[in-house]
Amino acid sequence: MNEQSGITEQDFRKKIFWKWLRSAFLRSLLVIFFVMIAVFFIIRLVPGDPAVMILGEHATEDSIEAMREQLGVNLPVSQQFLRFLSNIFRHGDTGDSLKYGISSREMVLRFAPVSLSLAGFAMVITVIVTVLLSFLAATHKDGIFDHIVRVIPAFTQGMPVFWIGLLFILLFAVHWRIFPVGGMKEGPFGLLYSLTLPAITVSFGQIPPLVRSLRERLVEVLNADFVITLKAARIPSRRIFFGHVLRNAFVPTLMLFSVNLSYLIGGTLVVEQVFGIRGVGKLLFEAISNRDFPLVQAIALYCAVFVVIISFLTDLIAHWADPGTEA
Amino acid sequence: MREKRIRKKTLMIGMIMMGLLAALAVLAPLICSCDPLEQDLYNVLKAPGSSGHLLGTDQLGRDILARLLYAGRTDLAVMVLAEIIPFFTGTFLGMVSGYFGGRAEWVITLVTDTFIAFPYYLLVIVVAFATGAGIHGIFITFMLVGWLVYARVARGVTSSLRRSEWVEAAKIMGYSDLRILVTEVFPNVLPQAVVVLMTDMAALLVSIVTLGYLGIGITPPTPDWGMMISEGQSFVTTAWWLSVLPGLMVVYTGIALSLLGDGLADFWRRDSV
Amino acid sequence: MKKRASFILALTLAASLLVGSGKVVLAGENNTFIYATAASATSLDLHREITQNNAFAIDKIFEPLVLFDEDGIVGDWLAESHTISDDGLVYTFVLRDGLKFSDGTDVTAEDVKFSLDRHLEVEGPLPLEADIASIEATDDKTVVITLNQAYTPFFSELANFSNGILPKDFGGKTEEEFFQNPVGTGPFAVDEWDPAGDLTFVRNEYYWRGTPSIEKLVYKVVDDDNQAINQLKTGEVDAVADLSYANAAEIDGNAETAVITGGSWNVEEIFFNTLDEHFSDVHVRRALALAIDREAITQALTFGYGEVANTVLPNAIRYNTTDSVNALNLDLEAAKEELAQSAYPDGFDTTVSIASGNNVRLQEAQILQAAGAQIGINIEIDAKEIAAFREDFKALNFSIMINSATADYPDADSIFAFQVDPEGFSQCYWTSYKSDEAVKLLKEGQVTPDGDERAAVYADLQQVLADDVPYIPLYYPSITVGIRSNVEGLVILPNGSARFENVTFN
Repeated sequence: MNEQSGITEQDFRKKIFWKWLRSAFLRSLLVIFFVMIAVFFIIRLVPGDPAVMILGEHATEDSIEAMREQLGVNLPVSQQFLRFLSNIFRHGDTGDSLKYGISSREMVLRFAPVSLSLAGFAMVITVIVTVLLSFLAATHKDGIFDHIVRVIPAFTQGMPVFWIGLLFILLFAVHWRIFPVGGMKEGPFGLLYSLTLPAITVSFGQIPPLVRSLRERLVEVLNADFVITLKAARIPSRRIFFGHVLRNAFVPTLMLFSVNLSYLIGGTLVVEQVFGIRGVGKLLFEAISNRDFPLVQAIALYCAVFVVIISFLTDLIAHWADPGTEA
Repeated sequence: MREKRIRKKTLMIGMIMMGLLAALAVLAPLICSCDPLEQDLYNVLKAPGSSGHLLGTDQLGRDILARLLYAGRTDLAVMVLAEIIPFFTGTFLGMVSGYFGGRAEWVITLVTDTFIAFPYYLLVIVVAFATGAGIHGIFITFMLVGWLVYARVARGVTSSLRRSEWVEAAKIMGYSDLRILVTEVFPNVLPQAVVVLMTDMAALLVSIVTLGYLGIGITPPTPDWGMMISEGQSFVTTAWWLSVLPGLMVVYTGIALSLLGDGLADFWRRDSV
Repeated sequence: MKKRASFILALTLAASLLVGSGKVVLAGENNTFIYATAASATSLDLHREITQNNAFAIDKIFEPLVLFDEDGIVGDWLAESHTISDDGLVYTFVLRDGLKFSDGTDVTAEDVKFSLDRHLEVEGPLPLEADIASIEATDDKTVVITLNQAYTPFFSELANFSNGILPKDFGGKTEEEFFQNPVGTGPFAVDEWDPAGDLTFVRNEYYWRGTPSIEKLVYKVVDDDNQAINQLKTGEVDAVADLSYANAAEIDGNAETAVITGGSWNVEEIFFNTLDEHFSDVHVRRALALAIDREAITQALTFGYGEVANTVLPNAIRYNTTDSVNALNLDLEAAKEELAQSAYPDGFDTTVSIASGNNVRLQEAQILQAAGAQIGINIEIDAKEIAAFREDFKALNFSIMINSATADYPDADSIFAFQVDPEGFSQCYWTSYKSDEAVKLLKEGQVTPDGDERAAVYADLQQVLADDVPYIPLYYPSITVGIRSNVEGLVILPNGSARFENVTFN
């Protein structure tokens, strides 16, 4: 961070940026690699035999043994690991699903659009509502609205996602029949229609902590010395807000959503379960339960890659907006 | 003046709500003479108010009030105990990585990022499966997962403080890193961390309840709100109180914690500014 | 700021209104029947599958020579008639006239021979237990099966879906191609199939019992009980398989929905590991059986959709003696006396294993726990996720477990071979129970022709099991299927499958 003479500031910034980019990229790759290894071993720590899960309790030992061989789960773990690595590096796949006999990658890709739409929809709702509420609350600090905003999240905070989903289904789908109970309708319109209730359910749990943190941040920025100075200098508050407060709050807000992404995806997984949406979340629960190792690996891997890419991009934007951030 | 009063009020209400809950849990045996485990298979699913059961009976004829109170005991105790270790390790690691930067930060962020890249519930569920159901499973799971939030927050606050004038000043005065961490950084990190603690306790309670709901949390017969919700789910249209009441207990706890967190945050900010 | 906020708000509102105006497509439209099932069909190879998700899809496509009806009685199906020689060794089947596969080709005796031969060759998880010497197609319509040893359950065994008839040599296709779009004599054929999702059948125009009136049948995967019930209420599905008892009364009480029930081949049971230090003692097992109020359990958990079980043979299978057997009923005094005679008169600590995520099992475990506490047996509940649970009990790593036993086909032997034969792979449903008398009766039952003599053998066997208590039968659960009130003609079978060929909408 020392000033270096003979180099223009722009060159210096560029250099720092590239250095940061390189290390951030490297770190992302490392994270993905660790996730891969962790998933492989964690799922194998869980007791249970995939062959028994496929054939059920009444199957004979012989047919179970034959199934184990066919699935390749009779091999020692070290060999399975080598197979797993070579599969990933040669085909970008984690092997065929034990239960469905279809390529795991294909399975994930098939179920991903629904989950991504749900997560995306929920993200849009979350961002809009969070930003709106926290800005209103922070700018009218300790006003009635601020209190309402602070009280409402308090109510929703401790609500288990599955419980909210249950209540929503009972009210909006069974009682009033405004939305479908669950499952997916055809077409882009049906997609939106089917996903509204689940998306609201996902956001419901996400918004309160976000509003809380963002409001805190905004209040801090609003109370910061420079804002007070600007105010003292009689600069119009609108200009202060859009020119300075927003700029200073942008990066933390972005980071907040980026960190939240993984929770949002987690929430999506649970909500899919409640609404009977056959997306990646459902696939995951099923795969864990069936000890469908390749499929669990594929889902975790693709989720991780997705999260890593998004957080890499947000870091990039944050860095670009404010090179000082230790992203 | 009005602002101050309202701030104080938030903290007070939060404390009262939490105190009430704690009192109910601790004094459960005095409040309700019923045994939360005693079954009466011929008197199941009684509505609230009937035959000596204030809140009715569940599908095995057990007293719901007693179960709610005793479940509160377990859930609150597990919630608090499971939060202690993550709170300190997370805050400590976050401060260290934020303050020293460099290699320590690189390694800690790498680990954090790896954990964060997992969908939260994937991690929780897989670890819970591996450790088996029960309270020890919950402790292990959250020891592994819980510290992340604190590390993130502590690191963020610390790295922004690192270049602040206080820290610069302290450095110039030749204070040791440890002393700066303890006297300058920690007091600034603590309010944020405590606010997160309150939020995270509520989140942890939800996780405990979710695990109970999925059948891999606290093991029966120990009453647990999550198990109660899940057991009552089959009767949600006919005996809605079975799963709504324990759900409301969870929500109530969330509100109390949230107000407490808010109140404390304001209290500290006023103190330090 | 305010302006912007209200703009966004308006936008959100407009979007939600737009979205909200979509129409819910209800089931029953276009003569399509939508059936909610818990799991997708992953494979249609009848010789390699056993689990219900596959079995109940396979039995729509393939049909065997003989088949059971809703009461579990086995009779001729693709066979027009059959004869069994007096020594029980030679079975002769004559095929019906004009039988066709769903692709329009004729069914011949050669197809039958090919199908059964492939089953013998593959073996699979539901192998033919009879000792078969030969299978011959003596003419176009006659099949003769000869056994090396008499085996009475063989006739019922043939009714299994895994003995369905397919075209010889897979109709010229490869195995893999064939089972992607299989051809059989059943009322339906595959239309669209996602092994990880829904399965749509189209009716078989050539069906020998008349073309089904519904055009399409959809097995929609809805793997959450509450989700399924709600979808039934709103008409998003026409019927729900395996309706939970807790919800049955509600579905039955609703004007738009109804419940149909029938006897099942299931028994809910408590199993003891007889190698366990405590439960190797018959007095301990008897004491626990005497401490359990099975009547109360049945009432509290089945809501009237189950019957108290006094024997392990399901009451929908012939030779069940639940009304006459002398079983151990609730009697706490007797239970304490029984325990006093054991090696553990002061009680002990033990564990009951169940699969997690199953609410009914959890209730049963808690009731058992309370029952044990009354006589000083302290029982801890060990709920493990199903795969781990199975692994544990198959490794005999349990003390008590709660599970259900299911007959694969409607013969008493299907249950007893699984639960009484210590030489069998299931080691008496992993209880390791050994009783020479029980084994003798089991073997006798396998060779005694159907009739009073066989009934007497099985009555004795059921009494032996009731006295020895290697397992405590709790109740016989009914099959319950939730339907929309406008559905008629749905037939439910005791194995949990259903027949849709006569379904009509009102």
